Amino acid sequence: MASFMIRRIASAILVLALVSLMSFALIWLVPGDTAAAFLDASATPEQVAALRTALGLDKALPLQMAEWYGRVLSGDLGQSVLLNRSVAGALLERLPVTLSLATFALAIAIALGVPAGVAAAVFHNRWPDQLFMTTALLGLSVPDFWLGLVMVLVFAVSLGWLPSGGFTAFGTDPLGWLKTVILPAFTLGLVQVGFIARMARASMLETLNQDFVRTANAKGLSRAYIVLRHGLPNAMIPILTVIGIVAGALLGGAVIIEQVFSIPGIGRLIVGAIASRDFPVLQGGLLFLAVVYLLINLIVDLLYAVVDPRVRLS
Amino acid sequence: MKKHSILGHALAAIMLLSMQAGASAQQKGGDVVIGISQAPPSLDAQITSAQASRNVTLHVFETLYARDENAKPVPELAEGVTISPDGKTYVFPIRKGVKFHNGKELDANDVVASLERYRKIGASLALVSAIDSIKATGPHEVTITLKQVQATFLDNLSSPRAPLAIYPASEAAKEAGKIEIIGTGPYKFVEYKPDSHVKLARFDGYVPNPNGTGRDGFAGKKEAFLDTVTFRFMPEGGARTAALESGQIQFNETADGPTAKRLGSDPRFSIHKVVPFGLQVIKFNHAEAPGNDKNFRLAVQAALNMDDIMSIAYSDINQMDPSWLYPGAPFYSTAGAAKYNKADLAEAKALLAKSSYKGGKTTFIVDNLRANVDTATVLQERLKEIGITVDISIADWPTVSKIGFTPQGWTFWTHGFGIEPFEGPASVMAPWVNGLSQQAKDPVIDELAASLGSEMDEAKRKALFERFQTHMYDNAVAMKAGNYGVFQISTAKLKNFKPYRIPRMWGVWLER
Repeated sequence: MASFMIRRIASAILVLALVSLMSFALIWLVPGDTAAAFLDASATPEQVAALRTALGLDKALPLQMAEWYGRVLSGDLGQSVLLNRSVAGALLERLPVTLSLATFALAIAIALGVPAGVAAAVFHNRWPDQLFMTTALLGLSVPDFWLGLVMVLVFAVSLGWLPSGGFTAFGTDPLGWLKTVILPAFTLGLVQVGFIARMARASMLETLNQDFVRTANAKGLSRAYIVLRHGLPNAMIPILTVIGIVAGALLGGAVIIEQVFSIPGIGRLIVGAIASRDFPVLQGGLLFLAVVYLLINLIVDLLYAVVDPRVRLS
Repeated sequence: MKKHSILGHALAAIMLLSMQAGASAQQKGGDVVIGISQAPPSLDAQITSAQASRNVTLHVFETLYARDENAKPVPELAEGVTISPDGKTYVFPIRKGVKFHNGKELDANDVVASLERYRKIGASLALVSAIDSIKATGPHEVTITLKQVQATFLDNLSSPRAPLAIYPASEAAKEAGKIEIIGTGPYKFVEYKPDSHVKLARFDGYVPNPNGTGRDGFAGKKEAFLDTVTFRFMPEGGARTAALESGQIQFNETADGPTAKRLGSDPRFSIHKVVPFGLQVIKFNHAEAPGNDKNFRLAVQAALNMDDIMSIAYSDINQMDPSWLYPGAPFYSTAGAAKYNKADLAEAKALLAKSSYKGGKTTFIVDNLRANVDTATVLQERLKEIGITVDISIADWPTVSKIGFTPQGWTFWTHGFGIEPFEGPASVMAPWVNGLSQQAKDPVIDELAASLGSEMDEAKRKALFERFQTHMYDNAVAMKAGNYGVFQISTAKLKNFKPYRIPRMWGVWLER
């Protein structure tokens, strides 16, 4: 276990170094600069030049990179150009928003996706299978921003049950938080349900066709017991892998959903940073997302051993 | 019996009248949430010229002079001004008894510190470039000395572009973006949640300008009735509409034509047209062929049908107008109009034949705003008819503006001028001085702009602006396509709203 963790941490550091290098390179390949984005069309070249100097954009690229790495290694993600605050502060402020949204969405995706997939496998080639899999395909095909707008029209505009957007922090008002997060979380989660359901069905089908299931059947164990006690734990490894991927996708998908529902999360921060070429925020944001992805992967790997004792982490 | 009946009728009439009066009476209280499309980059009013910031900061901060309904500068925190005979010294008596939101009373030191700060870090330094010195010459008197005569000085002081907001001296000592948001305006700052909202509350200690008789542009009498005003940042147009329909917001800063039409027939909403909000300009790059050829530019100008451009780019809300200023502006002129919107392909072909353009591609750089892309597309189709090939290059604003600020890589560039024509002739001319926008110096414009700056006689200044406008058309320095507007939609309960360049939340109240 210890050697596994050491190896994972070492590889994570390497991945983060590569991600930050690539994000730096990509960002600096993007045309346009912060000074031009910040000023309007009637700005004088002198104003643009003065702003570029003030922002340090006129320094040589290797120097800017060296400064950036130096700061990051000492735990400082730098200062946002436009927000007048630290990048770390801006990210941490929005982290609870995006995390609560993505976690809620993930819970919905798992709660609906796994049972639907298992039921489809159990009733293989019968009507529940066809119903769940057609619905899953439909869910996978629907763009989340469109689904979001439909949800708003139905539940906020027509029925008036839920707010159309905005965000209330859980700490301020738990009920208010639930009301603001439920529509975007369902929008995000529903699109992923199909993904999880299809994988759960395939994995479950494979498990149900194995010898030990046949033996359990022969022993006269109940169908439900076989599915839940023998089938599901054995089918969980591929499902967990997909859940890990979905968790990452939810963080990415939140970028668009946060725009549609006007939610002040990390997604909106990054979109805003792209539009205004606020490079420190963009670099910090990408690095931060990479860390989150790595953590999710690590958690999934650890869970493999939990659900299947045959997996050895050493 | 008869007596009773008369009395009864009279009473009923009085009751009815009082009910009607009650229905339209101003009343304090209520909260309004405004959906705005962009988040303000900063609430430090002096350091940003973003519309999103103006929407908020002009409720919080005030200036020495402000623009009235027709964009004329009138005193706001100043009582007036005395200008020395040589036109270089301005003495401003400052209004007494004006309170900042922190309770401090406004005095000359606050004004001096605020203007000095603007001279260092203001977003439109050109507004204060003529100032030589700013001194407190009394507890409530400020004297500004100019290096040279500047006829537009009061226009500059009152510009809402990046306002010369007056802060308490203690705040004015701080760096850009580090201030506490404390002004003298009718609303005080409550909170700013990044990517979410800015909340303001009525400032009950507000001291209105005694000379103001009613709502008047950014000046006049600013009576706040609402308890709070919240600006919520909602980039998605559909989300703003949904929020308005579901009662989450009470005001949508900008909506598209079809939405305005649909909600216009719903008694729960009021549609407000802000026309003109901007003018659509199509720039030429004079530093590169073929944009450096006057006949080429004139050919393009002659060929274009501006009606087509505006009706597609800004369907439902546009105005055909040759002037580079807005209707109603003191210097409004139609000089040069004969060359506007000619849509004459024969003349265009003749002019093109005289030019050095012998085929080849031209590049139209355009940002991804739909109306700008439409403008480029209509121009591209039109110019095809006279044999000019236009490549449209679309990118986001930072990319496009970076190219457009240089003399290479583009022939045409389009975007709106919103605040410049509102500010007046000097601001409209400024983007063409020193070849700033067209990338090659134009001595005629440079001279006209310099003369306008030093000419104190209004009739002569008007003549100078007319010469500028004629020059723009005679040389096709750049083209104006037309004026565009925006639709604003509010709940019908918001009473006495009058559209202006920002959604002013003074003089309005909520009907219960």
